Amino acid sequence: MANFHPETDLLTEYSAGSLPLAQAACISVHIQHCEHCQQLSNQLSEVGAALFDNLQPQAVGDELLNSVLARLDEEVPLSYAKPEGDGSSTPAILQRLISGDFSDLSWKKLGSALRISYIRTGDPKHEFALYHIKAGGRIPEHTHRGTEMTLVLEGGFSDADGTYHKGDFIFRRPEDVHAPTAVQSEDCICLAVLDAPLKFTGWKFRWMNPFLRLKAA
Amino acid sequence: MRLVAETTDNDLDNAANDSPVKGARRTDEWSECITLIARNEDRAAFTRLFRHFAPLMKAFAHSGSTLSANHADELVQEVMLKVWQKAGAFDPSKAAASTWVYTIARNCRTDLYRRLNKFDTSLTAEDMGYEDETEETFLLLHQQRNRERIKALLGDLPNEQSQILVKVYMEGKSHSEVSAELDIPLGTVKSRVRLAIQKLQIQIER
Ligand SMILES: [Zn+2]
Repeated sequence: MANFHPETDLLTEYSAGSLPLAQAACISVHIQHCEHCQQLSNQLSEVGAALFDNLQPQAVGDELLNSVLARLDEEVPLSYAKPEGDGSSTPAILQRLISGDFSDLSWKKLGSALRISYIRTGDPKHEFALYHIKAGGRIPEHTHRGTEMTLVLEGGFSDADGTYHKGDFIFRRPEDVHAPTAVQSEDCICLAVLDAPLKFTGWKFRWMNPFLRLKAA
Repeated sequence: MRLVAETTDNDLDNAANDSPVKGARRTDEWSECITLIARNEDRAAFTRLFRHFAPLMKAFAHSGSTLSANHADELVQEVMLKVWQKAGAFDPSKAAASTWVYTIARNCRTDLYRRLNKFDTSLTAEDMGYEDETEETFLLLHQQRNRERIKALLGDLPNEQSQILVKVYMEGKSHSEVSAELDIPLGTVKSRVRLAIQKLQIQIER
């Protein structure tokens, strides 16, 4: 069971459908892991449903009704049939985005402990990537030029504010500085969604900052 | 809780006056329609549903959005067609008909926005949802009570809070877009959202 959750205002945007694609995908992976946020987002959807009921109806002509009636015999698109869970531990939404499992992805090495795999979501403003940190490995201390959502998929990591395990969701704002370290017992894989590149603060990695680009799409 | 699916037209008419839950009848009528569509491909039931929901969807499509009249009509058509096609997946013991329809409308609108903005993605808004798997009666009862309470309390919210909820939910705007539009700080938007959610007594303790 997850211990770190998205804040209510983020869940409100999620349940209203107003979050950008990559961020919504990240929250939905947390919700798959977290019954609590599932319940909460159910209730938040009821707010939308109640507001919808209260809208001032706008007249709809009979032509529109007739053209829908004429289309009722259309073949139902196959995509409505949800693929059954295949027992894989990869969250369903990630299965939609990658083929195979994490080991089939192309990973880019960044230092000795960190590998990154960038995943295409179609969201032009957010980078959506998997981070693989070796057991006990440390990500160089960095701050953010924008926001960073992190979701632990396997293993765990800690920073000055806490220790995070599978399903935990962490949201960082531009001013936050941290240096995540994977737990000692196993490798850590997390999903990170950024709207601006990271900015390293330690002297060893600072030189990279001008070269960091957001790999969004 | 299964009551809805087994209620006949007659029962609905008779139950109108002495229904234990005030206002429940209308909701039940729409559940009934969706169930009839699923069972019998009932076009008359579909037409009734259309006459009630299509005008709401049109209003939803036009809420503060930049959708043209054509795109709004396209959205209404697409949502109603989905309601027909997905009726078999509707479970009246789990969801209120209007919540179910609203969810489809919300997802279709998000996808339409993304198409219009030329997003090249394999993900739909529906993929971002999750299957609500609970079968536990007490949870289902709890959900129903939440729904009724939220509806009732919504009318008591101060204007500055309900205005923001309308922008977020009906106009599909992010908190930062609302902040820019109303020219108030982002922090104020977020705290008004939080206050509103508190007043609606949506439990957030973890
Ligand atoms: Zn949660």
